[in-house]
Amino acid sequence: MMCSIIPPYLLRHLASVTDPAFASAAAAARASLGVDRPFRSIRTSELPPPGGSARQALLARAIEPVTRTIYDAGNLEELPGTRVRGADDEPTDDTAVTEAWDGLGHTHALFAEQYDRASIDDRNLPLDATVHFGRDYDNAFWDGERMVFGDGDDIVFRRMTASVSVIGHELTHGVTQYSANLEYQGQPGALNESLSDVFGALVEQRALGQDAAAASWLIGAGLFTETVQGEAIRSMKAPGTAYDDDVLGTDPQPAHLNGYIETSDDYGGVHLNSGIPNHAFYLAATAIGGNAWERAGQVWYDTLAGGGLRPATDFATFAVATADAASVRFGERSPEHVAVAEAWAAVGVIARKTSS
Amino acid sequence: MTRTGGFAGLTATWTVLVDEQPDSDEWTRLVAALPLAPGNKPAPQPDRYVYRIQVARRQVTLPEQALDGPWRELVDRVQERAAD
Repeated sequence: MMCSIIPPYLLRHLASVTDPAFASAAAAARASLGVDRPFRSIRTSELPPPGGSARQALLARAIEPVTRTIYDAGNLEELPGTRVRGADDEPTDDTAVTEAWDGLGHTHALFAEQYDRASIDDRNLPLDATVHFGRDYDNAFWDGERMVFGDGDDIVFRRMTASVSVIGHELTHGVTQYSANLEYQGQPGALNESLSDVFGALVEQRALGQDAAAASWLIGAGLFTETVQGEAIRSMKAPGTAYDDDVLGTDPQPAHLNGYIETSDDYGGVHLNSGIPNHAFYLAATAIGGNAWERAGQVWYDTLAGGGLRPATDFATFAVATADAASVRFGERSPEHVAVAEAWAAVGVIARKTSS
Repeated sequence: MTRTGGFAGLTATWTVLVDEQPDSDEWTRLVAALPLAPGNKPAPQPDRYVYRIQVARRQVTLPEQALDGPWRELVDRVQERAAD
C-alpha cells in the first residue's frame, strides 16, 4: 500500500484546485486519493446492509471537486430550464448565473473542506441550480433535487442569488434531506429551517473571512430594495429585528421558547420559530469565539450528520444532541460543551443546570 | 387568499369581491370549475409558498407545487386583479 505524507484533507484540497499552474499537483493528488481509497468502485449490491459501520467504511470515498450546472428558467415556472453553464464553460455575462455558480462553490467548499462532506449527499452529488424562475418571483426554494431562484419583483425583493447566505441556505436543505431528513413541520421543521440558516450564514462568513464577532449574523442581507425599511430577512443575533416596515410589518421571529408561535400556516411557522434555534447557535458561536464555522459549526454539523437525529426531532432533543456532540468532540465540560448548553438554556429550550 | 411560507416567511393576502368585478360572470364560472382540492398533498418542499384560499364557504390549503388547472388560474388571476 502506498503511504502518503500528505493528509487526506490537503489532498482533497489539491485535487480540487483548478488553476492550470497546479494541474499536475491536482492530478497527482486525485491519483493518490484513488490509491488511498481502494473501495470506491465497490457495487451497492456487494455492500453490507445499511446502518452498519462496515457499510460506512466500504463506502468511504474521496471528495471530488464540485460539479456545477446552472439552468435558466427564462421567467417561466418550469424546471429545470435551459442549461447555461456547466463544467469547463466560461462565465456568462448573466449576474444571477455567476452568483449561483460562485455560491454553489462556496457552499460545497464549506462542507468539503471543513466537515469532510462530499457534496450534499456525501456521495459527490452534482449541484444544480435554476435561476430566473417565474415572473417577479420573490422566492428561492429547494425542490428535492435543485436550488431554484427567482429574480424578485424589484419592489420588495431583488434577485435571490445576490445573497450567499440564501444560496447556502437552499443547499443545506439538501444536506438535511440526505442526513437527518427532519420533517418539514412544527419543531423539526423549524430545526430544518434553522440548520439552513446556520450553514447559510457560515458559508457567507467563511467566504468573507469574518469571525463570529465580526459577522452580521443576518440571513439575506441586501435582498430588500431600498424602499423597504429593513436590512435583511432574518437576524440570528437578534431575531425579530431584521425589518420593521410600513408594508411588510415587523420581523415576527421569536428569540426565546416563550415566544414560540403556534400556527397552522407555513407548516407550523417553520420560518418563524427557527429564530429560537438560530439564536441558540449565535449565542454558542459567539461564546466560543473565533471562526464560527470551525468549532460551533462543527458541533452542529456533527449533530446533523452524526446519525443520531430522528425525522421528528424536537427542539429539546436537538439541544441535548448538540451538547452531547460538543462533549464528544471537545470534551466533557470543555468551553465548547459549556457554551452550547448555556446557549440552549438562554433561549429557554433546556433547563439551566444548577451548579454542582 | 393568503400566501404564507417562502424563504422569507412573509404573509401576503389578496381579496377579490366577485360581485363587484366588471367580469363577475367569468369569475363565477372560474369558481364553479374549481375541482375538489387534491386529497393527497405532495410532500413539502422547503421554502415553497403555501396558499390558503377561501372561496365563499370553501377553504382549501394548497402548496404552490400542487397548483394546477383552475386552482392555478384562480391564484394567478386573484394576484393580477388585486394588483390592478
